[in-house]
Amino acid sequence: MALGNKALAVRTDLSFGDIIRERSGEDVHSCYYCQKCTAGCPTAFVMDYKPAQLLRMIQLGQRERVLSSTTIWMCIGCEACGTRCPNQIRLAPVMDVLRQMALDEDYAPETAVYSLHRSFLDSIRMWGRMHEVTMLAQFKTLELLKEYPVFFKGLLGDMKLGADLLLNGKLSFIPDRIKGVDEIRALYEEAAATSSREKESEVSG
Amino acid sequence: MGIPYFPGCTLSTNAKNYDRSARAVAKTLGLELEELPEWQCCGATFPLMLDDSMALIAPTRILYQAQQAGERVTTLCSICFNVLRRSQALLERDEEMLDRINWFTEQDYEGNVYVAHFLELLRDDLGWEEGPAPLAKHVKRPLTGLKAAPYYGCLLLRPYDEIGLDDPENPRILHDLLRALGAEPVDFPYNVECCGSYLMVKDPEVPETLSQEIVTSAGEHGADVVVTVCPLCQFNLDYPQRESAGTRTGSRIPVVYFTQLMAVALGLPEETWGFEDHYVDPKRLFAE
Repeated sequence: MALGNKALAVRTDLSFGDIIRERSGEDVHSCYYCQKCTAGCPTAFVMDYKPAQLLRMIQLGQRERVLSSTTIWMCIGCEACGTRCPNQIRLAPVMDVLRQMALDEDYAPETAVYSLHRSFLDSIRMWGRMHEVTMLAQFKTLELLKEYPVFFKGLLGDMKLGADLLLNGKLSFIPDRIKGVDEIRALYEEAAATSSREKESEVSG
Repeated sequence: MGIPYFPGCTLSTNAKNYDRSARAVAKTLGLELEELPEWQCCGATFPLMLDDSMALIAPTRILYQAQQAGERVTTLCSICFNVLRRSQALLERDEEMLDRINWFTEQDYEGNVYVAHFLELLRDDLGWEEGPAPLAKHVKRPLTGLKAAPYYGCLLLRPYDEIGLDDPENPRILHDLLRALGAEPVDFPYNVECCGSYLMVKDPEVPETLSQEIVTSAGEHGADVVVTVCPLCQFNLDYPQRESAGTRTGSRIPVVYFTQLMAVALGLPEETWGFEDHYVDPKRLFAE
């Protein structure tokens, strides 16, 4: 009986698969569950749902389960699944769409991966090029604001990594700052403005 | 005039030894690399959503700079290569997108620059054993007896439709290069597996687990050294071996860039090898 209630609690949205197909260009409905993608996925062992399971959940319209899974944040886009799929479904674009949907719809994302992406982009905005020391510093600060215990555990590990790298001459404290950095910042600002304008016109139009 | 060259962020920080060895071998082979002026980061991810054009701005700016400098651009990092090659392919087939990006960046990219991995220049401009100026003929110090495991990783080869550099499941390009240098390429089942990529920052146990499998397997197939093309692969396979737990057998295997082996084989001076920046020291393999 308990199981029955739980099963009923999974809300379905049958347009979900179609939306993903449209935004990713991948025909998610043609998966027949051979599980080659799961077998070859390098990060499947840290996913809560395996790649083939996620595809089946998409087909069944289990929107909430899919968008709150760790799977979409652990995929690193190595394209092994897409190379091997007998139905030519590439999961990397599907995951990209799902990550964007999860952010847009305020599903608690796998926050650390998101903070990492953000820190990376901010480093480029600041210097024009990625600079590891300032990027890692920002990433860890963002983590601090979210979750203290995880932060301190992670910080010790990163300090060791950072110290190893500095001693090895692999990192430098001073970032390269390219001459065109103002142009890059202007592009960022313009891009942000354009995308919010587009969003508004989508909503109103 | 040299070949327009996009080093990318990592080659100017974490992987200076890759950059240095590549420039040195390129010069010796008559393929001098000319760095693009004031380049910026490529963005490090190719946009996969059909409605995402923002992430194309950075790569297009680089392609535009390359257009000022010549007809093609070369790069070494697998991630930069993947992003630039796929962006170029997209802009070539989607004129509307090209116009949109040009309008946005106020540049006039024509969409015709060829993005070549440095390996491709070696294969197509020179050739391995035969060709216009075969690499094998430049070798001064053949790597005879060196068992080298070519590790391709993911982004150099996949997705095949957009990259098309080599067979995505059974690639040969590094094998051929190693043979031309006199080394013996070692096949092992993990040569196109992913190394775990940027999860090294967030969940290091993921790349460390993958690295252990990859390096152990290479060792079990007899490799003295693992050869890579990508700075992130190099780091993810080398760093976990700072402790002996890095491989399941406990024996540590150096992980080097193909350009470093080339510098040795072409008889270039030791300061171009860049072996000092490694966790597992490759120098002992080349002691006189």
